[in-house]
Amino acid sequence: MLAPQLITKLDQRLAKLLEDCSVINAAVVTTADGHMCAMRQGNQDYPLERLATMGSTLMSLGDTITAELKMGTCDNIISENKQGIVAFMHINNNLVLVTLTVQKNALGMLLSHSRRCAEEMAQFV
Amino acid sequence: MSEIKLVFTGSAGAGKTTAISTISEIPVINTDVRSNDFTTHLIRQSIDTSRKETITVAMDYGELTLDDGQKLRIYGTPGQQRFDYMWKILIKGALGLIILVDNAGDDPVGDLARYLDNFREFIKETSAVVGITRMDLSPEPNLEIYHEYMQSHGIRLPIYSVDARSRDSVVMLIHALVAMLEYG
Repeated sequence: MLAPQLITKLDQRLAKLLEDCSVINAAVVTTADGHMCAMRQGNQDYPLERLATMGSTLMSLGDTITAELKMGTCDNIISENKQGIVAFMHINNNLVLVTLTVQKNALGMLLSHSRRCAEEMAQFV
Repeated sequence: MSEIKLVFTGSAGAGKTTAISTISEIPVINTDVRSNDFTTHLIRQSIDTSRKETITVAMDYGELTLDDGQKLRIYGTPGQQRFDYMWKILIKGALGLIILVDNAGDDPVGDLARYLDNFREFIKETSAVVGITRMDLSPEPNLEIYHEYMQSHGIRLPIYSVDARSRDSVVMLIHALVAMLEYG
Protein backbone atom coordinates (compact mmCIF):
# COMPACT_ATOMS: atom_id res chain seq x y z
CA MET A 1 0.00 0.00 0.00
CA LEU A 2 0.96 3.65 -0.27
CA ALA A 3 2.94 5.56 2.36
CA PRO A 4 0.73 7.30 4.96
CA GLN A 5 2.05 10.75 3.93
CA LEU A 6 1.02 10.07 0.36
CA ILE A 7 -2.43 8.90 1.41
CA THR A 8 -2.83 12.13 3.38
CA LYS A 9 -1.93 14.16 0.31
CA LEU A 10 -4.41 12.23 -1.80
CA ASP A 11 -7.09 12.76 0.82
CA GLN A 12 -6.38 16.50 0.94
CA ARG A 13 -6.60 16.75 -2.84
CA LEU A 14 -9.93 14.90 -2.82
CA ALA A 15 -11.23 17.36 -0.20
CA LYS A 16 -10.19 20.22 -2.50
CA LEU A 17 -11.93 18.53 -5.42
CA LEU A 18 -15.24 18.43 -3.55
CA GLU A 19 -14.76 22.04 -2.40
CA ASP A 20 -13.91 23.32 -5.88
CA CYS A 21 -16.70 21.47 -7.65
CA SER A 22 -19.90 21.38 -5.65
CA VAL A 23 -21.65 19.02 -8.08
CA ILE A 24 -19.25 16.20 -7.16
CA ASN A 25 -20.85 14.17 -4.39
CA ALA A 26 -18.10 11.65 -3.74
CA ALA A 27 -14.59 10.78 -4.87
CA VAL A 28 -12.34 7.80 -4.28
CA VAL A 29 -8.74 6.92 -5.06
CA THR A 30 -8.10 3.21 -5.42
CA THR A 31 -5.16 1.06 -6.39
CA ALA A 32 -5.40 -0.85 -9.66
CA ASP A 33 -5.93 -4.04 -7.65
CA GLY A 34 -8.88 -2.68 -5.72
CA HIS A 35 -7.59 -1.32 -2.42
CA MET A 36 -9.02 2.01 -1.39
CA CYS A 37 -6.40 4.69 -0.66
CA ALA A 38 -8.52 7.78 0.05
CA MET A 39 -12.16 8.82 -0.10
CA ARG A 40 -14.37 11.84 0.39
CA GLN A 41 -18.11 12.24 0.20
CA GLY A 42 -20.70 14.85 1.13
CA ASN A 43 -23.77 14.05 3.16
CA GLN A 44 -24.46 10.82 1.34
CA ASP A 45 -23.59 7.36 2.54
CA TYR A 46 -22.24 5.64 -0.53
CA PRO A 47 -20.42 2.29 -0.11
CA LEU A 48 -17.11 3.76 -1.21
CA GLU A 49 -14.97 0.73 -0.32
CA ARG A 50 -17.08 -1.27 -2.75
CA LEU A 51 -16.94 1.51 -5.35
CA ALA A 52 -13.14 1.54 -5.07
CA THR A 53 -12.88 -2.16 -5.87
CA MET A 54 -15.37 -1.87 -8.71
CA GLY A 55 -13.40 1.09 -10.04
CA SER A 56 -10.31 -1.07 -10.38
CA THR A 57 -12.34 -3.74 -12.18
CA LEU A 58 -13.89 -1.28 -14.62
CA MET A 59 -10.61 0.46 -15.46
CA SER A 60 -8.98 -2.89 -16.08
CA LEU A 61 -11.84 -3.90 -18.39
CA GLY A 62 -11.52 -0.54 -20.16
CA ASP A 63 -7.79 -1.09 -20.65
CA THR A 64 -8.44 -4.62 -21.92
CA ILE A 65 -11.08 -3.44 -24.39
CA THR A 66 -8.97 -0.60 -25.77
CA ALA A 67 -5.97 -2.92 -26.06
CA GLU A 68 -8.07 -5.44 -28.02
CA LEU A 69 -9.27 -2.67 -30.32
CA LYS A 70 -5.77 -1.14 -30.55
CA MET A 71 -7.13 2.22 -29.43
CA GLY A 72 -4.27 3.09 -27.11
CA THR A 73 -4.78 3.56 -23.39
CA CYS A 74 -8.21 4.00 -21.82
CA ASP A 75 -8.54 7.58 -20.54
CA ASN A 76 -11.98 7.56 -18.91
CA ILE A 77 -14.96 5.34 -18.36
CA ILE A 78 -18.24 7.17 -17.90
CA SER A 79 -21.33 5.56 -16.47
CA GLU A 80 -24.38 7.74 -17.16
CA ASN A 81 -27.29 6.60 -15.06
CA LYS A 82 -30.87 7.58 -14.31
CA GLN A 83 -29.82 9.24 -11.08
CA GLY A 84 -26.34 10.50 -11.77
CA ILE A 85 -22.98 9.99 -13.40
CA VAL A 86 -19.90 8.05 -12.32
CA ALA A 87 -16.51 8.68 -13.92
CA PHE A 88 -13.47 6.41 -13.71
CA MET A 89 -10.00 7.49 -14.80
CA HIS A 90 -6.36 6.56 -14.37
CA ILE A 91 -4.14 8.67 -12.16
CA ASN A 92 -1.20 6.54 -13.23
CA ASN A 93 -0.64 2.83 -13.94
CA ASN A 94 -1.28 1.92 -10.34
CA LEU A 95 -3.99 4.32 -9.17
CA VAL A 96 -7.54 5.06 -10.30
CA LEU A 97 -9.76 8.05 -9.49
CA VAL A 98 -13.52 7.49 -9.23
CA THR A 99 -15.87 10.48 -8.95
CA LEU A 100 -19.64 10.75 -8.98
CA THR A 101 -22.40 13.30 -9.19
CA VAL A 102 -26.13 12.95 -8.76
CA GLN A 103 -26.71 15.76 -11.27
CA LYS A 104 -27.35 14.34 -14.71
CA ASN A 105 -26.37 17.53 -16.55
CA ALA A 106 -22.97 17.91 -14.90
CA LEU A 107 -20.84 15.59 -17.01
CA GLY A 108 -18.56 18.38 -18.24
CA MET A 109 -17.91 19.73 -14.76
CA LEU A 110 -17.39 16.25 -13.39
CA LEU A 111 -14.88 15.31 -16.07
CA SER A 112 -12.92 18.54 -16.17
CA HIS A 113 -12.46 18.83 -12.41
CA SER A 114 -11.76 15.12 -12.04
CA ARG A 115 -9.21 15.15 -14.86
CA ARG A 116 -7.38 18.11 -13.35
CA CYS A 117 -7.39 16.38 -9.97
CA ALA A 118 -6.02 13.16 -11.46
CA GLU A 119 -3.26 15.04 -13.28
CA GLU A 120 -2.21 16.86 -10.12
CA MET A 121 -2.23 13.63 -8.15
CA ALA A 122 -0.08 11.99 -10.81
CA GLN A 123 2.57 14.63 -10.19
CA PHE A 124 3.02 13.81 -6.52
CA VAL A 125 2.46 10.07 -6.39
CA MET B 1 -21.86 -27.79 -32.75
CA SER B 2 -22.91 -26.88 -29.22
CA GLU B 3 -21.37 -24.26 -26.99
CA ILE B 4 -20.89 -24.45 -23.27
CA LYS B 5 -19.94 -21.70 -20.84
CA LEU B 6 -17.73 -22.84 -17.99
CA VAL B 7 -16.36 -20.81 -15.12
CA PHE B 8 -13.13 -21.30 -13.20
CA THR B 9 -13.22 -19.88 -9.71
CA GLY B 10 -11.27 -20.45 -6.54
CA SER B 11 -8.73 -19.03 -4.18
CA ALA B 12 -6.18 -16.37 -5.11
CA GLY B 13 -3.08 -17.91 -6.63
CA ALA B 14 -4.73 -21.31 -7.20
CA GLY B 15 -3.98 -21.16 -10.92
CA LYS B 16 -7.22 -20.06 -12.60
CA THR B 17 -5.53 -17.71 -15.07
CA THR B 18 -2.78 -20.27 -15.70
CA ALA B 19 -5.28 -23.08 -16.28
CA ILE B 20 -7.22 -21.04 -18.83
CA SER B 21 -4.02 -19.95 -20.56
CA THR B 22 -2.85 -23.57 -20.65
CA ILE B 23 -5.83 -24.83 -22.63
CA SER B 24 -7.18 -21.85 -24.56
CA GLU B 25 -7.05 -21.97 -28.36
CA ILE B 26 -7.21 -18.18 -28.54
CA PRO B 27 -5.01 -15.59 -26.87
CA VAL B 28 -6.48 -15.32 -23.40
CA ILE B 29 -8.22 -12.09 -22.55
CA ASN B 30 -7.17 -11.23 -19.06
CA THR B 31 -7.40 -8.32 -16.68
CA ASP B 32 -4.39 -8.93 -14.48
CA VAL B 33 -2.85 -6.02 -12.63
CA ARG B 34 0.13 -5.81 -10.35
CA SER B 35 -0.79 -6.79 -6.81
CA ASN B 36 -0.34 -4.18 -4.12
CA ASP B 37 -0.58 -6.66 -1.31
CA PHE B 38 3.06 -5.89 -0.64
CA THR B 39 3.28 -7.29 2.85
CA THR B 40 1.66 -10.58 1.98
CA HIS B 41 3.61 -10.74 -1.22
CA LEU B 42 6.97 -10.16 0.41
CA ILE B 43 6.31 -12.67 3.15
CA ARG B 44 5.24 -15.27 0.64
CA GLN B 45 8.05 -14.46 -1.76
CA SER B 46 10.59 -15.20 0.94
CA ILE B 47 9.33 -18.74 1.18
CA ASP B 48 7.93 -19.33 -2.27
CA THR B 49 9.21 -17.58 -5.36
CA SER B 50 6.61 -19.20 -7.62
CA ARG B 51 3.82 -16.97 -6.29
CA LYS B 52 2.49 -14.66 -8.95
CA GLU B 53 2.78 -10.92 -8.56
CA THR B 54 -0.42 -10.05 -10.38
CA ILE B 55 -4.08 -10.61 -9.65
CA THR B 56 -7.15 -10.80 -11.87
CA VAL B 57 -9.49 -7.89 -11.11
CA ALA B 58 -12.29 -8.54 -13.61
CA MET B 59 -12.08 -11.80 -15.56
CA ASP B 60 -10.11 -14.13 -17.80
CA TYR B 61 -11.56 -15.51 -21.00
CA GLY B 62 -10.44 -18.35 -23.26
CA GLU B 63 -11.92 -20.88 -25.67
CA LEU B 64 -11.43 -24.59 -26.24
CA THR B 65 -12.99 -27.04 -28.71
CA LEU B 66 -13.36 -30.58 -27.42
CA ASP B 67 -12.80 -33.67 -29.61
CA ASP B 68 -16.56 -34.09 -30.10
CA GLY B 69 -16.84 -30.54 -31.48
CA GLN B 70 -18.28 -28.95 -28.36
CA LYS B 71 -16.99 -25.42 -28.02
CA LEU B 72 -16.18 -24.26 -24.52
CA ARG B 73 -16.24 -20.60 -23.58
CA ILE B 74 -14.16 -20.48 -20.45
CA TYR B 75 -14.26 -17.65 -17.92
CA GLY B 76 -12.09 -17.13 -14.88
CA THR B 77 -13.17 -15.10 -11.86
CA PRO B 78 -11.02 -12.97 -9.58
CA GLY B 79 -10.00 -14.90 -6.48
CA GLN B 80 -10.25 -12.25 -3.78
CA GLN B 81 -13.52 -11.91 -1.88
CA ARG B 82 -13.58 -8.15 -2.48
CA PHE B 83 -14.31 -8.89 -6.16
CA ASP B 84 -17.30 -11.12 -5.39
CA TYR B 85 -19.62 -8.97 -7.54
CA MET B 86 -17.72 -10.35 -10.55
CA TRP B 87 -18.53 -13.90 -9.42
CA LYS B 88 -22.25 -13.15 -9.71
CA ILE B 89 -21.81 -11.52 -13.11
CA LEU B 90 -19.63 -14.25 -14.60
CA ILE B 91 -21.68 -17.19 -13.38
CA LYS B 92 -24.79 -16.04 -15.27
CA GLY B 93 -25.56 -18.47 -18.09
CA ALA B 94 -22.78 -20.86 -17.12
CA LEU B 95 -23.40 -24.59 -17.31
CA GLY B 96 -20.68 -25.67 -14.95
CA LEU B 97 -18.15 -24.55 -12.39
CA ILE B 98 -14.57 -25.60 -11.72
CA ILE B 99 -13.29 -24.66 -8.28
CA LEU B 100 -9.52 -24.52 -7.91
CA VAL B 101 -8.01 -24.50 -4.44
CA ASP B 102 -4.39 -23.69 -3.66
CA ASN B 103 -3.23 -26.45 -1.32
CA ALA B 104 -0.26 -24.32 -0.27
CA GLY B 105 -2.56 -21.51 0.90
CA ASP B 106 -3.13 -20.58 4.51
CA ASP B 107 -6.47 -22.39 4.85
CA PRO B 108 -7.21 -24.49 1.77
CA VAL B 109 -10.19 -26.39 3.22
CA GLY B 110 -11.63 -23.08 4.41
CA ASP B 111 -11.11 -21.70 0.90
CA LEU B 112 -13.05 -24.62 -0.58
CA ALA B 113 -15.82 -24.10 1.98
CA ARG B 114 -16.04 -20.41 1.04
CA TYR B 115 -16.43 -21.10 -2.67
CA LEU B 116 -18.88 -23.93 -2.14
CA ASP B 117 -20.93 -21.58 -0.01
CA ASN B 118 -20.76 -18.64 -2.41
CA PHE B 119 -21.78 -20.77 -5.38
CA ARG B 120 -24.14 -23.06 -3.42
CA GLU B 121 -27.27 -22.25 -5.42
CA PHE B 122 -25.49 -22.55 -8.75
CA ILE B 123 -23.94 -25.91 -7.81
CA LYS B 124 -27.36 -27.20 -6.72
CA GLU B 125 -28.83 -26.35 -10.10
CA THR B 126 -25.95 -27.45 -12.31
CA SER B 127 -22.69 -29.04 -11.30
CA ALA B 128 -19.10 -28.48 -10.31
CA VAL B 129 -15.76 -30.22 -9.95
CA VAL B 130 -12.93 -29.38 -7.58
CA GLY B 131 -9.26 -29.23 -8.49
CA ILE B 132 -6.61 -29.01 -5.79
CA THR B 133 -3.40 -27.38 -7.03
CA ARG B 134 0.15 -27.21 -5.70
CA MET B 135 -0.11 -30.51 -3.84
CA ASP B 136 3.48 -31.12 -4.93
CA LEU B 137 4.56 -28.19 -2.75
CA SER B 138 2.16 -28.87 0.07
CA PRO B 139 0.84 -32.46 0.24
CA GLU B 140 -1.35 -31.72 3.27
CA PRO B 141 -4.29 -31.56 3.56
CA ASN B 142 -4.70 -34.62 1.36
CA LEU B 143 -7.72 -35.31 -0.86
CA GLU B 144 -9.32 -37.44 1.85
CA ILE B 145 -9.63 -34.39 4.10
CA TYR B 146 -11.48 -32.52 1.36
CA HIS B 147 -13.73 -35.55 0.73
CA GLU B 148 -14.55 -35.75 4.41
CA TYR B 149 -15.34 -32.06 4.56
CA MET B 150 -17.71 -32.24 1.60
CA GLN B 151 -19.36 -35.45 2.83
CA SER B 152 -19.96 -33.90 6.24
CA HIS B 153 -21.80 -31.07 4.47
CA GLY B 154 -23.80 -33.34 2.19
CA ILE B 155 -21.86 -32.33 -0.93
CA ARG B 156 -20.84 -34.88 -3.51
CA LEU B 157 -18.48 -33.48 -6.13
CA PRO B 158 -15.50 -35.03 -7.92
CA ILE B 159 -12.19 -33.79 -6.57
CA TYR B 160 -8.76 -34.15 -8.19
CA SER B 161 -5.19 -33.13 -7.64
CA VAL B 162 -4.28 -31.01 -10.66
CA ASP B 163 -1.42 -29.03 -12.13
CA ALA B 164 -2.77 -25.82 -13.68
CA ARG B 165 0.29 -25.67 -15.97
CA SER B 166 -0.47 -29.08 -17.48
CA ARG B 167 -2.87 -29.18 -20.42
CA ASP B 168 -3.73 -32.83 -19.74
CA SER B 169 -4.51 -32.05 -16.14
CA VAL B 170 -6.82 -29.14 -16.92
CA VAL B 171 -8.53 -30.95 -19.80
CA MET B 172 -9.16 -33.88 -17.45
CA LEU B 173 -10.98 -31.53 -15.08
CA ILE B 174 -13.09 -30.19 -17.92
CA HIS B 175 -13.96 -33.68 -19.17
CA ALA B 176 -15.00 -34.60 -15.63
CA LEU B 177 -17.24 -31.55 -15.48
CA VAL B 178 -18.77 -32.19 -18.89
CA ALA B 179 -19.46 -35.78 -17.84
CA MET B 180 -21.13 -34.53 -14.66
CA LEU B 181 -23.30 -32.21 -16.74
CA GLU B 182 -24.28 -34.96 -19.13
CA TYR B 183 -24.81 -37.82 -16.72
CA GLY B 184 -25.37 -36.06 -13.39
